[in-house]
Amino acid sequence: MPSVTRRHFLASSALALGALPHVSLAAEAPKRGGVLRISVDQGAAVIHPLLARVNPEYLVTELLYSNLTRLKPDMAVEPDLALSWEAGAGLTEWIFKLRPNVSFHDGSPLTAEDVVATFKAILDPKTASPARTNVGPIKEVVAVDASTVKFTLSVAFADFPVALAYTNARIVPAKVIASDLGSLATKANGSGPFKLVSYEPDRKIVVERNPAYYDPARPALDRVEILVYPDRTAEASALISGDIDLMLSTTPGEYERLGKAGGVKALRIPSGQFLNVNMGCDQKPFNDVRVRQALALTIDREAMAGFVAGGYGTPGNDTPLSPAYRFYKDGKLKKPDIAKAKQLLAEAGYPSGIDLTMVASDKPDTRTQLGVAIREMAAPAGFRINVQTMPHATYLDQVWKKGNFYVGFYNMQPTADAIFKLLYTSDAAWNETRWNNPRFDEVVNAARSETDDANRAALYARAQAMMIDEVPSVIPVFFDILAAQRAYVEGYTLHPRGSVFRLDLVSLGAGAPKRA
Amino acid sequence: MSFAWLLRRLLLMVYTVVIVSVLVFAITQALPADAAQTLLGENASPEALAAVRARLGLDDPVWLQFVHWVARAASGNFGVSMRTGLPVAPEMLTALSRSLLLAAGSLLVTLAIAVPLGMFAALRQGRVADTVTSVIAYLGVSLPEFVTATVLALLLTDMLPWLPATGYVSPLENAGLALRHLTLPVLTISVILVAHVMRMMRSETLDVLQSDYVRAARLKGLPERTVLVRHVMRNALLPVITIVALDVGYLLGGIIVIEEIFAIPGIGRALMIAITTRDLPSIQAGAMIMAVTYAITNTLADVVYALLDRRIRYD
Amino acid sequence: MTELLVRMIRKPQGAIGIMLLAVLAAICILGPWVAPYGPEKMDFLGRFRAPGWQNWLGADQFGRDVLSRLLTGARATVPMALAATLAGSAMGAVLGVASAYLGGKADEFIMRTNDAVMAIPGLLMALLLVSTLGNGAGNAVVAIAIAFAPGMARVTRSVALGVRNQDFVKAAVARGEGAAQIVFREMLPNVMGPIVIEATIRVSFAVMLFATLSFLGLGAQPPASEWGLMVADARQYMHRAPWILIAPSAAIALSAIAFNLVGDALRDALNPRDDR
Repeated sequence: MPSVTRRHFLASSALALGALPHVSLAAEAPKRGGVLRISVDQGAAVIHPLLARVNPEYLVTELLYSNLTRLKPDMAVEPDLALSWEAGAGLTEWIFKLRPNVSFHDGSPLTAEDVVATFKAILDPKTASPARTNVGPIKEVVAVDASTVKFTLSVAFADFPVALAYTNARIVPAKVIASDLGSLATKANGSGPFKLVSYEPDRKIVVERNPAYYDPARPALDRVEILVYPDRTAEASALISGDIDLMLSTTPGEYERLGKAGGVKALRIPSGQFLNVNMGCDQKPFNDVRVRQALALTIDREAMAGFVAGGYGTPGNDTPLSPAYRFYKDGKLKKPDIAKAKQLLAEAGYPSGIDLTMVASDKPDTRTQLGVAIREMAAPAGFRINVQTMPHATYLDQVWKKGNFYVGFYNMQPTADAIFKLLYTSDAAWNETRWNNPRFDEVVNAARSETDDANRAALYARAQAMMIDEVPSVIPVFFDILAAQRAYVEGYTLHPRGSVFRLDLVSLGAGAPKRA
Repeated sequence: MSFAWLLRRLLLMVYTVVIVSVLVFAITQALPADAAQTLLGENASPEALAAVRARLGLDDPVWLQFVHWVARAASGNFGVSMRTGLPVAPEMLTALSRSLLLAAGSLLVTLAIAVPLGMFAALRQGRVADTVTSVIAYLGVSLPEFVTATVLALLLTDMLPWLPATGYVSPLENAGLALRHLTLPVLTISVILVAHVMRMMRSETLDVLQSDYVRAARLKGLPERTVLVRHVMRNALLPVITIVALDVGYLLGGIIVIEEIFAIPGIGRALMIAITTRDLPSIQAGAMIMAVTYAITNTLADVVYALLDRRIRYD
Repeated sequence: MTELLVRMIRKPQGAIGIMLLAVLAAICILGPWVAPYGPEKMDFLGRFRAPGWQNWLGADQFGRDVLSRLLTGARATVPMALAATLAGSAMGAVLGVASAYLGGKADEFIMRTNDAVMAIPGLLMALLLVSTLGNGAGNAVVAIAIAFAPGMARVTRSVALGVRNQDFVKAAVARGEGAAQIVFREMLPNVMGPIVIEATIRVSFAVMLFATLSFLGLGAQPPASEWGLMVADARQYMHRAPWILIAPSAAIALSAIAFNLVGDALRDALNPRDDR
């Protein structure tokens, strides 16, 4: 952690000007030119930057647009369009200074007016942007001058600069918003490192270097071609045969095959993506904390990471924070203790065991695997669990947020606050467990408005300890993000969040094929 | 072939298109999905939904929507995709062109294999070669496309690691790469079609071999090669044309699965995506284009057949 | 009946077909009892176990026994195809005979419309119908039945036209019997032969179509052990554990072959003059 004072929130201009840390630190300048072919596992049907929903779409909008801030691989925030920022007292007033001389692809300048218009569009319910609930509690946004924007928040929010790096908070021109925001579904006009050449949602999307990008050193590539491979096996085969240079993600099975192939570098990074077993804490039998604790004590977390994540994962300790999060608190991993579990279950009133039905949807198939594994591990302690698989659509309709005992699956969020407020506080967007612990809410809210990193770390440590102890949901395993590239691809870093790609830092080294 | 016959045939085609459009519209109307909700996603506000409903005319009575739809469809405008916001018709036509390339390639490969093989089997009637070919034919018609495709891909991956490419490359962009991408799908479709066409060719050849004019040709002392090519093959091919035209209907259906498996962005895959995402304009356009293509091929096959065979009378 | 059977098994194709069909029927009836494991019994140590003494046909991604799933899955596959064919044939037969009986303009109208509906490829029709009705095995059966009806109507009508002009039908018309009476009592029983042949061959298409719909995720739903669904699930593991893929594929192919062979044998047995 670089700084523990208020200075953390005031990115100095020195840091901002050196906003290309990866490039400037590299020993030699990356080779310029070349065409990169990258594969994705599903089409990018939505390239509207405010409306994109899945990783391939985030990839496209990241190439074409810019945010005010960016999320680094260590989950810290760095400047993008914003040169620097400063929070007023109470963390409810935020002043952002914009980078000068930035222009959109059509040549028009990017000013504070565009930023204000963009956030007004995001906050407008009619736009239906997923960013609306993810960019923080913005009450008002105004342009102070052409290069200064002031945000006023309804409550103190220390993570505001991180929230602005959200995948849908890309800056679009004010004039497009005024005339026809919908036109961005097919045409792009951003300030990103690449410009859109052609767009065929389910086959191929091509972008080319933006010569007017604000950083003349980037990007190194002339063109990027995004190719859609709906079949994971065929996608891996294409990388092995050299048809593509880089794949966005892959599965454990294909990862092993790719690792053995010549000329291929398999990539892997621990992430905070997890599977959990949600329990309705407001209903029998899970309203008794001892039942939840008993279940948690039956699980061999190391074995689970091997079985469910194919060995490509991190054991979890019933908190949603993995070591990839900034405020992760390292704790002792729970070990299976069947005798203790039996005793807890008996104390809760189930001396002869308990019958339960756990729902696991069929997508991704790891949900069922987790269900089966828990059934086997919990059986000796007296849990008789019937695992019920069902189609994902049925699950979303009938069980998700409503059921009492089911397997959930979540992506890594940029901050501890984001994941707690998504799932575990009483006012969480998806309060699945109905844990509703006021002390936990208090701690999470206190951390929100705390500027001192050490104090925040202490608060989040307390929040994690509460979850480890009371087990609103069993979180036995975090998944690594797996991908692969040809050996000649340079500068690509797998990001734990799974939705940040930074192809503006990628170049093609020796041995890359010549492509027109 | 009289003018009246041709006219009648064309009228039939038009009638087919009308019936199909009513059916397709009816089915898409019955789809359990709110088009406005599909368009805007889960985060949509009620005001936004109402605005979109009004813009798309979803509040109009069904018959009025049908009239509007037909009027626009007739001028080639099927609206914009709810999924991507792109105009549907050009997308679907591009997709169709890829499917047609795949279909044409498969038909060529099929004819090149099935015609000689069918004749060969007929000439060897009852012998081992005949039995072997008919067993193969049976297998061909008894395997669903998805099984043939998957098993072929599995078998060929180890032997030819570079082959099982999926996706599509235009032959105009890169001919070699395009060929590689088309090999497996064409092979899969051909396996099925060869079985079908070969059976037909065999039985037609048997018929022709027993006909008077072949006997006469042989009696005249014409070389066997000439008899086979000039008389037997030409006459046996005629009914095969009809079968091939019928197979185009099968092809257009089967292509849905093949394109889905090999990720070829043709009309079948476009339609599959449209169906799973409830993209009504794309479903309508895709189904219409497929049915119209089939109707046109059928009419063409009839006309070609009539032109080739003067013996057939039409009234 | 016995004579027909004897004639059918005189040729090897017929004999093989009937044998395969008998095995299939036995599996459909006895499958769940002879299966060594439960079809959904998972074993997390036996994931992707290769065929051997523990699992004769290997185990799948959940450690479920492939053989047991196959044996139990026959019920989810074959009877569905039979039901779809039966329903489709019945609809088509009634439509075809009615059209032939009515004759003239009505016949022309019905058959042209029928032809037009046939311009929609069968799989496309089934896909559209299933997406309207909703995913699921039952709805897939309905969709296949409807997709089959026009073809059956056409075949039936051509046979029924011949029957329409025969004396006993003319007599019934002269007696003043009602249309329904004539269609169902007089004409339908006399076109049954060709319909049965056509239907038998179509069962093999129905098997494939049903499996295809399940493969595309629109028919049977997990964790059912329907064969098409088994193939769909196994595809992503095909390099790791090809046996999960091969077994259900072979089962689908063999069932389709069985119905094809029996259908052909039936046709040959009923039309002895066409001896090839």
